[in-house]
Amino acid sequence: MPSIDYEGWTERLSREMSAAWAIARKDMRIYYLKPNIIVMGILFPLFMFLAFAIGKNAPPGTLIPGLIAITLLFSASSIEPVSIPIERRVKTFDRLLSAPISLHSLVFGESLSGFLYSLGIACLPLVVGVIVFSTPIVHALVLVIAMALTAFCFATLGTLFAAYPTENVGEVMSMLNTVRLPLIFISGVFIPISAMPQIGQAIAFFSPLTYGNDMIGYAYTGTSLFSPLLDILALLIFILIFQFVANRLYKKFNE
Amino acid sequence: MNAIEVSHLVKQFGTLTALNDISFSVGEGETFGFLGPNGAGKTTTIRILTGISRPSSGTATIFGHDIENDTVAARQSMGIVSETSNVYDDLTGWQNMMFSAELYHVGRKEREKKSEELLTLFGLNERRNDLVHGFSKGMKRRLTLAMGLVNSPRLLFLDEPTSGLDVQSNLIIRDVVTDLVREGVTVFLTTHNIEEANVMCDRVAIINKGTIAAIDAPERLKKTIQSVQSIEFSFDHNAPDQLDELRRLPMANDARKAGDKFKIYTEDPSAVIDAMMAYARSHNLRVISITTLGPSLEDVFIRLTGLQRTGGAVHAID
Repeated sequence: MPSIDYEGWTERLSREMSAAWAIARKDMRIYYLKPNIIVMGILFPLFMFLAFAIGKNAPPGTLIPGLIAITLLFSASSIEPVSIPIERRVKTFDRLLSAPISLHSLVFGESLSGFLYSLGIACLPLVVGVIVFSTPIVHALVLVIAMALTAFCFATLGTLFAAYPTENVGEVMSMLNTVRLPLIFISGVFIPISAMPQIGQAIAFFSPLTYGNDMIGYAYTGTSLFSPLLDILALLIFILIFQFVANRLYKKFNE
Repeated sequence: MNAIEVSHLVKQFGTLTALNDISFSVGEGETFGFLGPNGAGKTTTIRILTGISRPSSGTATIFGHDIENDTVAARQSMGIVSETSNVYDDLTGWQNMMFSAELYHVGRKEREKKSEELLTLFGLNERRNDLVHGFSKGMKRRLTLAMGLVNSPRLLFLDEPTSGLDVQSNLIIRDVVTDLVREGVTVFLTTHNIEEANVMCDRVAIINKGTIAAIDAPERLKKTIQSVQSIEFSFDHNAPDQLDELRRLPMANDARKAGDKFKIYTEDPSAVIDAMMAYARSHNLRVISITTLGPSLEDVFIRLTGLQRTGGAVHAID
């Protein structure tokens, strides 16, 4: 039976992870404070939320889980669609493509910066909920897991869309918005899934936001449409699919 | 073991064949020039050799590692300096160096030591904590080269290293490359500056329309076109129609003007010198200088790539 070189694999994995972390840190330094990232990652979800929440006859505190969910969606998926086309234009992306790292690490590193950015931004409504509206959190650990998985899922989605071989940020953002905007209407953020028509309910199953929102709702209220374990499983499956497709696309478009 | 081994490489983009069955090898420690007109396939070749693009068929290995199947190992021994100074403007010089070193898995102490050494060598250490945004074009170019050397590569890809640079940056880069070659680093150089290739390279390959037209040492390539000789001379004063008249001299294949000098291409230099002296006497001109020249690498390049000279410029025939 052939022996497995665990030491070699461990070393390789550690090198890949440190390169991925270097890519994420580079993005944090360069892009976190870029105006278009702030607009798309912070202001857009906030105004989108206010547009639908104002006038609703519900205590503001109860709207916090939905606000966290759409903040995660928009902020996580906004970094790479901005950074990668810019880096293509100035040719720094070639530096990443020609580095001695696997494409998986490149996609992971790029997604990591969106993930961390999103978690940081989503803490704002979380803290506002706790301090201003005294919104109770029933399952804190579930909330942490839900936010982490949802953030990483949408960060990978952003990286996937950024694979489109363009140097124009607007092109990637337009394509991404044709997916992101419908997601907030079919995922139970503004309209509960149980209140949606049957076709809407069927479509909701194919939205990762459905599971992220459901799990965040469970963390706050203790009730949810699906079991939190099912939500976790669904989000993990979406992450794997997005990572796989992103890898394939980066490979294909660089040929 | 060869540093680069390329075998029957083909790259197609739809119906366009960018590389048509090219093969060559580059020995360890060699400085290899890769010349060709725009669109000849130089960039495609580099993108394949650095693992960014995949070939349609054929293989390429870097120090024995297949670039397609053993990409990470093949890239580990490379340094890449691309044509564009692809540095991060929003990071400092030092942060750029650290990032590049981290991508190449250089340990913390080693990367700090090496970066300090390289930034000093390239005259950038005093500006290491400044954002690259404020650097001049030459400084960015030097930083790009420093980033390409931070992993102490055995093979360095240099794409147009000195194109459009100031004299100081040009000299620094050439000196550093000369030192690297002395230390045994293999250099794969693409350049439009044919004289640069002539001076720096052990061998050059001339690629045209996706096919290798010739590979050899510059001096041996020049010998293949000994028929292209030239005479360079200048008169004490010039008139507007002189170039056309000189072009019509017996045995002159072509003539062009460069600054205050004329250059006549011929297969029979002595006949042209006689004719040119007769022309000078009949027009009351005094010859200030005269030099006979053998074929240059540029002449080889023009001959092999199907370009032709018209007046002072070079034009594509097709």
